[in-house]
Amino acid sequence: MAIRDTLLANLAVALAPHSVSVSSELPFTAAGVALYDKNMKKVYLDADRNDTTELFPTLDYNDVFQQEITVLGYLSVDAKNQPTDIEQVLGHVRNSRLSVANCYLRECSVTNDYAEDRNTYTFEFRFLTI
Amino acid sequence: MADFIAVNSEANFVRLDINANPAGYANANVAFAATADTMTVPALQEVTVNATPGTFNWSQLDELSEKVVTTPSTNSISVTLVLDPVTFFAGKGNTDGIFDIVNSKTETFFRLYWAGDSSTDRWIQGKGYLSALAPTVSPGAPVWTSPLEILVTGSYETGAVT
Repeated sequence: MAIRDTLLANLAVALAPHSVSVSSELPFTAAGVALYDKNMKKVYLDADRNDTTELFPTLDYNDVFQQEITVLGYLSVDAKNQPTDIEQVLGHVRNSRLSVANCYLRECSVTNDYAEDRNTYTFEFRFLTI
Repeated sequence: MADFIAVNSEANFVRLDINANPAGYANANVAFAATADTMTVPALQEVTVNATPGTFNWSQLDELSEKVVTTPSTNSISVTLVLDPVTFFAGKGNTDGIFDIVNSKTETFFRLYWAGDSSTDRWIQGKGYLSALAPTVSPGAPVWTSPLEILVTGSYETGAVT
């Protein structure tokens, strides 16, 4: 099961009482407009990105590798009239990282930027596992 | 440029074998002929061979430089390794796992292949005690690793694979 699926399942429950929902669609761009800009107040998660990096090199091919999985998420809201529960929503999205098991590092950073009247939050989930 | 000893290919990997059958063997050659009790220590990260003759220095009034004589050597092999459950806990044949060898202070035969174990590849061997075990793990590196030192009793023997 992809980590994206776990996050989506968690967010579907966590965001149910709030003004923001979650979409299972990938955040593709159509006619030059990103889906999360077109459909505001919906969280979109991109597909898992997997990297395998060396944790411990050894002298005999018994190297220990770790898998780094990154998932990007997007949420656009009206910058002039942000949802009143936006802080709770952001908290739920950040905390959804804790629903992913068997990883020794579960991080989520949030940035935002403005375009016209939209405030777009970008979530970067980062997970490490052996 | 002079030739060098490379260990970066599979045929030239460094290999450390140990045999710690508590019943003992007459010598290292006999020990490593007993393959059922000989365990290869995998996942070595660093290997340091220490061979240090002791010295006694003195000065005398009719010499402009110090005099030196040798005293018995201190020999040891230091490694760091990623721990695996078989060699660390279970062991092989009559050779205990590394933790039990250290814990019970069992005299252990060792043979270190410098670069591969094919015909004519060189090794050093001897016997000693496993020491300096200090397994460590952390949230940022969640796999057990440890240093390990073989305190050599007596001299190294050298040879090559026949």
